[in-house]
Amino acid sequence: MAISVKLMHRPEPESTSYLRAALSGMALTFKHMVNPTKVTQQYPEEMTDLSPRWRGTHVMEQHADGRPKCVACGLCPTVCPANCIRLVGGEDDQGNRYPIVYEIDEFRCIFCGMCQEVCPVEAIHVGRHFENAEYTRDRFVYDLDRLMEQDHPSTLLWDPSDPSSE
Amino acid sequence: MAEMVNLTIDGHEVAVPRGTTILEAAKTIGSEVPHYCYHPGMSSPAMCRLCLVEVEGAPKPMPGCVTTVMEGQVVNTQSEQALSNRRGVLEFYLVNHPLDCPICDMSGECNLQDYVHDEGREHGRGREPKRIFGRDDFGGDVLFYGDRCVMCTRCVRFMSEVEQDHRLTVVERGNRSVIDTFYDEGLDGTNWHGNIVDICPVGALVSKDFLHKARAWDLTHTPSVCTSCSQGCNIDLHTRDNLVQRIKPRENLDVNAWWICDHGRHNYEWMNRGDRLEAPVMRSDSGSQAMGWGDALRALLEKSDGGGSVKAVASAMSSNEDLGALKALVDAMGGGEILYRSARAEDEVPLRGFPLLARRKDLSANSTAADLIGANRVGADDGTGGLDEVSNHDGIVLVLNDDLADQKEDFGNNASLFVYLGTHDSPGAAKADLVLPVTSHAEGEGTFTNHERRVQRFAKALDAPGMARPAWLVLGALVAEKGEGPAPRSAADAFAAMSSSVAAFAGITWDDLGTRGAVLNESVSVTGD
Repeated sequence: MAISVKLMHRPEPESTSYLRAALSGMALTFKHMVNPTKVTQQYPEEMTDLSPRWRGTHVMEQHADGRPKCVACGLCPTVCPANCIRLVGGEDDQGNRYPIVYEIDEFRCIFCGMCQEVCPVEAIHVGRHFENAEYTRDRFVYDLDRLMEQDHPSTLLWDPSDPSSE
Repeated sequence: MAEMVNLTIDGHEVAVPRGTTILEAAKTIGSEVPHYCYHPGMSSPAMCRLCLVEVEGAPKPMPGCVTTVMEGQVVNTQSEQALSNRRGVLEFYLVNHPLDCPICDMSGECNLQDYVHDEGREHGRGREPKRIFGRDDFGGDVLFYGDRCVMCTRCVRFMSEVEQDHRLTVVERGNRSVIDTFYDEGLDGTNWHGNIVDICPVGALVSKDFLHKARAWDLTHTPSVCTSCSQGCNIDLHTRDNLVQRIKPRENLDVNAWWICDHGRHNYEWMNRGDRLEAPVMRSDSGSQAMGWGDALRALLEKSDGGGSVKAVASAMSSNEDLGALKALVDAMGGGEILYRSARAEDEVPLRGFPLLARRKDLSANSTAADLIGANRVGADDGTGGLDEVSNHDGIVLVLNDDLADQKEDFGNNASLFVYLGTHDSPGAAKADLVLPVTSHAEGEGTFTNHERRVQRFAKALDAPGMARPAWLVLGALVAEKGEGPAPRSAADAFAAMSSSVAAFAGITWDDLGTRGAVLNESVSVTGD
């Protein structure tokens, strides 16, 4: 099949003006300037509303005395599809099982929230936080102390008014 | 041949020898009846009440572990009644079991977890508080979590029937009954108590060594053979992150049944050593030079030409293939003496309830094969000394896997060529002209010959570091360069080469070995002791 060429019949530049088109475009722009139903979000000056199920970087819950709630059961590294959790369990001086090493690589994390779902003691949570900036890449590997320092609220994973996600 | 009995289990007609229990008969059709107190290596008290099966015509459910089969019997292990029996019994177990699976070391390989998941109730109905015992140190390597115990008394029966050292008993009765030791005696000083951790169906008895170390589902199980004595117990190496985390026994009724000794169980740290030789190194007056395998082997062949007579030091921890290849190389170089050293214990440590099994006096895995290839044992019973002749030898000195830790600084100074094949950085490796890195027991495939001449295979559990290669591969390549047959490409090739050259191994093939091993021809005499 031969290649066909469609000829476009454009007006000659000498015989036409773009003034009318430009004015109609500007009219639309100025109309939006005074539009009361504007949708532009003034982030970061104004924080946007996040979904209650928003999943951001992690938080480790702790007991009143500052110990992590984690019992190093090993379910979160097992279930993690991105393999971003490193856990070494041990026993503390009171005979409790606890994580000697607990690290989450937030770069590798895909924020699926399965670690929070699987946790039998509700220790690890994905949080409602997403604004992460660091000067070095290795700062994105959160260790246990860093995870316990996080003070942002944790996600609800489910909408409380719609627990079965219908 | 025992008289056979025909019966029907779950709709399948089976024929088993008279005297077989229903539980064992059900195994032959692949129907696993849940059980706790029954263990094939011990008596059956029928006290866990979990293996209750429905026998048609019987007025009530029968315990499968003690009821022997009868002609024409019809047994249902998966019927509605059998399942509801088990569901009820399991609910009773969970009245006091703490459900602390997240912090329990048994989690993932726990029979209670499995059975309740398969057949138990979905939700508990208990409202009363559970009884609490806490944790008890039983001494030795064993911790006891009383809350988790299901009172199967396997541990009590192991200590009294198999080890035959009555260290454990059940104290109190009913709801308050608990396993305990006598006064403060504990399990200290017993040599086989690690097995009670293996046979505990739940997490009541756990190993201190393994406490919180790894989750059961993270471990890779590799069949292997214990190297701690010449008994050759069948074991599984449980590995994670390229490290051996623990050793568990592997069933072999001809060697060790279900048991291993505590010494062998805890002797695995050496497999995880980090100070490894990783590249061939040539040492000369101008310094040390790391090189590739091709260069190293060419240099070895070049230097060994006209280097004089050969003396070799083998290790009784090396596999049959390694020793056979060493023998072949020594022969190809014109023949020479092969020596080995091997530590001996004062006494055997027998397991009274299973007479085939003992921790043998010979603390090396493979002295039998070293004897069979014609190597001579030298040195004292602590595995040192005896190498004075080799130390001053003015020909070629080959050392395989002996660290030479007890030898003087001048070992091999007179040698025309001193070649060291080893795994770890050691005094021997520091002195040799040519250091060749080889794989350790856990990093390669091969076979051992145990004290009764049973040849047993072990598999590769860990990845070898750097350029380390199996010794049979290195030595076999050298033998091939000398024009003595093809170079082996696998451990099976190396074994075939050995069985064709060493008389005692004649007629045994790699495929004969299987998972149970094969015993060598008895008529060939062993040199040495």
